[in-house]
Amino acid sequence: MSEFHDDYPSYETMANHDEASGKKTRKKIWLVFTLLLVVTIVEIFVGMMAADWGASKLFLKVFFISFTILKAYYIIYSFMHLGDEVKWLKWVIIAPYSGFILYLIFMMTIGEGNFSKEARHDLPPATEQHKGGGGEHH
Amino acid sequence: MAGHSAEMHKYSGWGGGVSPLGASYGKVFMWFFLISDALTFSGFLCAYGFMRHKFAGEWPDPAAVFHHFPFLHGKHLPLLYVGFMTFILIMSSVTMVLAVEAGHRMKKQAVLFWLGLTIIGGFGFVGSQAWEWYNFISGNEQGAVRAMHHGDVKTFQFYSDHKTHVIDTTRLVPPGGHEALSVEESGKLKASGKRVYGASLRQNEYGHTLFGDFFFFITGFHGFHVFSGVMINLVIFIMVARGMMQRRGHYEMVEKVGLYWHFVDLVWVFVFTFFYLL
Repeated sequence: MSEFHDDYPSYETMANHDEASGKKTRKKIWLVFTLLLVVTIVEIFVGMMAADWGASKLFLKVFFISFTILKAYYIIYSFMHLGDEVKWLKWVIIAPYSGFILYLIFMMTIGEGNFSKEARHDLPPATEQHKGGGGEHH
Repeated sequence: MAGHSAEMHKYSGWGGGVSPLGASYGKVFMWFFLISDALTFSGFLCAYGFMRHKFAGEWPDPAAVFHHFPFLHGKHLPLLYVGFMTFILIMSSVTMVLAVEAGHRMKKQAVLFWLGLTIIGGFGFVGSQAWEWYNFISGNEQGAVRAMHHGDVKTFQFYSDHKTHVIDTTRLVPPGGHEALSVEESGKLKASGKRVYGASLRQNEYGHTLFGDFFFFITGFHGFHVFSGVMINLVIFIMVARGMMQRRGHYEMVEKVGLYWHFVDLVWVFVFTFFYLL
């Protein structure tokens, strides 16, 4: 039992706080909630109006994905308290994930996806005829 | 290194008496689990993006698919219902973070109150998703026609006047394009195409088959996460009610299930964007 430390810090109780700081925390929670709500309402409004405005697909992609990342940032940093964790824990979580996912997004979704669309249209039209499954009625 | 300076001792790892991550074992491993789960969901969404780019010409416009709202039958209200579902989930995330905060102050009754609201919100979301699936699977009464059109197998829905509910079956529109075809061309497509009703894993009336498959798989997997989250919250609720956390002197268990619950909300933020908005 030599590795066992009696003076090992109790991280579980460290997060406990008093009424005063609790009040401050709650204020921050409602502020983040308001932000998430407003962003979502704006997104839905733009989504509903996009067809009427004739908004370009590129604009919609940039617009929605930036707001999504903004919302994700606030959920992770505020609601999941990652902003309050030590630097090492932040990096151990964010860095490996970001590395894998950025690679996957660029290689698979954007690169390969567009390539296979082009490649598919190089096929003779006959191969396209029998798609869409059987004509099953209910 | 021979000498052990104070600085080295501080960062020398768990064996040195401190956690370099400044958090308890349980919390660190909840985070590691969430990373692996996040990689799974990201993999699904990337596969979705790949297929969506590949079959761009046959992919439906979500506004043409998801436009139902309870008790407002026949009205064209894109995104409103899913916006409502998003609101429920964000709200339940807020009640969860308030439960965690109440736990930090050791207020048992407040934890139970907020955790209880979170559980209700979770059931609300799962129920809403069931309704969403019901509409997606049953589709509309006319179904759709799948036919070759300008080199792609396109899906044509029957044109309907959303103001008076009159459906003109002679005019067809592809979802997304909203391009009404002439009566002659519509007739030709109806004769050469295949009639599809509702949605299954084999086919759907909205567009490419994979659109339906990804919808079932990704929202289903997410819905299953929400359901498990509600069940875990329920277990913790009972533990809190029995005073277990009070005896331990901390409510970190609530914080850990809170992490999972926020993660479920986080995934929904992405599903919402890539399935419904784009």
